[in-house]
Amino acid sequence: MSATDTALPASATARTRPRGTLLPRLGTFSLFALPGIALYLAFVLVPVVMSFVSSLTDENAMHPVTHFVGLSNYRQLLSDPSFHRSLGNTALLTAAVVVVPNAVGLGVALLLDRGSRLYRMLRTVFFTPVVLSSVVVSVIWQALLTDDGIINKVLRSLGAEHPPGWLSDPSLALGTVTFIMCWQMLGFCVVVHLAGLQGVPAELMEAAELDGAGPVRRFRHITWPMLAPSVTINTVMLLITAFKTYDQVQVLTNGGPGDGTTATVAFTVITTAFTDNRTGYSAAMSLTMLVLIAVVSVVVLRVLQRREVTL
Amino acid sequence: MPRTTSARRTVVLCAALALLTAGCTAGGGAGQASDGSKTMTFLTFETPNLDAAYWDAAIARASKAVPGVKIKKLVAPSADRNTYVKQLAASGQLPDIMISVSPDGLAQSGKLAAWPAATLDDYVSPQSNPIGGKIYQLPYNTQPTPLVYYNKTLFRAAGITAAPTTYKDFLADCAALKKKGVNPLVVGGGGKDTWADGFPLIAAVGTDVYAKDPHWLAERRAGKRKFTDATFTSALNKVKKLAGSGYIDRSGLSRDYASTEQAFRDGKGAMYPMGSWFAASADSKKPPFDVGVFAWPGDNGADTVPAYTGGGISVSSSAPDVKLAQKWSAAFMLDKQNLDASVRSDGSLIAVKGYTPPTTMGPVYKATVKIYQDAARRGSVVNAFSVETGDTGLVPGLSDKLWAGTAELIAGRTSAGALARRLDGEWAKDAG
Repeated sequence: MSATDTALPASATARTRPRGTLLPRLGTFSLFALPGIALYLAFVLVPVVMSFVSSLTDENAMHPVTHFVGLSNYRQLLSDPSFHRSLGNTALLTAAVVVVPNAVGLGVALLLDRGSRLYRMLRTVFFTPVVLSSVVVSVIWQALLTDDGIINKVLRSLGAEHPPGWLSDPSLALGTVTFIMCWQMLGFCVVVHLAGLQGVPAELMEAAELDGAGPVRRFRHITWPMLAPSVTINTVMLLITAFKTYDQVQVLTNGGPGDGTTATVAFTVITTAFTDNRTGYSAAMSLTMLVLIAVVSVVVLRVLQRREVTL
Repeated sequence: MPRTTSARRTVVLCAALALLTAGCTAGGGAGQASDGSKTMTFLTFETPNLDAAYWDAAIARASKAVPGVKIKKLVAPSADRNTYVKQLAASGQLPDIMISVSPDGLAQSGKLAAWPAATLDDYVSPQSNPIGGKIYQLPYNTQPTPLVYYNKTLFRAAGITAAPTTYKDFLADCAALKKKGVNPLVVGGGGKDTWADGFPLIAAVGTDVYAKDPHWLAERRAGKRKFTDATFTSALNKVKKLAGSGYIDRSGLSRDYASTEQAFRDGKGAMYPMGSWFAASADSKKPPFDVGVFAWPGDNGADTVPAYTGGGISVSSSAPDVKLAQKWSAAFMLDKQNLDASVRSDGSLIAVKGYTPPTTMGPVYKATVKIYQDAARRGSVVNAFSVETGDTGLVPGLSDKLWAGTAELIAGRTSAGALARRLDGEWAKDAG
């Protein structure tokens, strides 16, 4: 592009662009875009379309012949108590996993927002669970939380005759799984909030301090609004992570104790497909889950982005 | 940038991508090799005893016996091979050969090749677990499931001098142990291993249901029986009463399978209802006490032994050469060293004609074999409820619901009648 072009309005440059320059640009652009598009098609779009097609059938590993059933699977979902239960469990777990690590993570980030070596080391400590596999984390916690595990041994030594059945009591098991997820995701929230805190201009804080604003007012009127982007990132990431919860439930409780007390939607999708063999019905569940995650994520994103501050 | 160059680049890139995606074939490289041999995938699983070196050596021996086959070994990522195989099948990557995978579901949908009668002639029970009248898994191994392994030291401490022979004696022994402050029964079922809570129920169904009606589950499939029938509900009630009397330690419901075995080894209970594979473990890694074994007794003293025969290799109907795959699999299955390894590591009761186990096997294994052989002579071996597959098995998915319900029964959160009604409801749903 010549220097004279830059002086013209965009519309004018578009009109005066010499013919024959767009296609080469598209060719170059496609060179870079094509691998990404191909991977997206192969690993996201095509499987989604295949799942949708499967959800309109009675596909079952036990039946060699598959029939088209239209929306019958989706209608069945509306009256399926085990799906409703897993949806309720997922909603509870998601609500807690979105709020708790976000809030606690912010508190921890404020405490760790210092430059010394000790605080840098503590950041690493908090972030470590995030990089561990969910399965590994779950196995470790399971060893701690069984009825005769380390935690209950400590409680017994402190005089508790009947310590809680963290994983065997239906009224506690979902809370236990939720706590473990919150614990694992805390480090992620801390790091994102710390990054957000780095973006708060020091001169703003100094000016507010000079004007007599205390720590609480400075946090409320400067830090909190400036942290809006990191709250948005955390919320959306936690929302998606929590909604897809499978590994922790599989390892810690296998959906129990008893009948589906900790079964999440993802867990129910997998068991319906590969234990019950009802592949078509399971595809309908997973598509429903996809739509739910998409809708909730978009709504939450819109709401949170509205309050984001641009300086 | 000249237009022709960019267009050429685009074409080259597209071609490269096409080649790349063409290389990502399902199944991972099965087919014909350049030397004319057939490459086939073989799904194995690894345990501390059946490690990578074991499988590699076993595969090499079978390949030596049957030339023309190149095996590409696959390893299941977890103990749950059945779910993994279904996932592979759903993505068009069913292994050509697979061992110890339930044929249920795969066979009915035409994904497995039936074994010819000539191959089955080598086995003691050639018609075990038929599906549509055909056999899809080589019945090489019998596993009594469960027998009751017990801690002789704790028995002596409670004044018990012999293993119980009637259910009344069994309850009396439980009471004596409890009075001594000993947990009578070690039962698991935590984490991913919910199935581990099922052994008392399998045993009770054996004595109360199958001993009277060996074809009860086949009749249930035909709609002639219900879980709410008095005989089945009485078996459920036995488990509930055992737990209600404090004879099953409820904290076990949070223990996974490995922790459950460890709890028995640690003396956290006197009796351990478990499959015969524990015999090998008890002999090879002896606990700090002598282990005895008896069959779960019935009301009238008939010690019914529930057992499952199967566990062998299945072959995919879409293997590059099904006959060759079956020939190789038969050689693998009948290899003496492989069978000996299975006996040593898994306490297998090999169901191959003419096979004799290693003479070096320990006392718990020998006692286990004797109990099974005595029951076989008396004709009191029955199917192991929920373990059986095929035409006489539970509908897919029901066993998971059964173990979840059993956990509620043991924890005192449901009644036998309510669980039976729920199972009938789930049966109708899963069979549909």
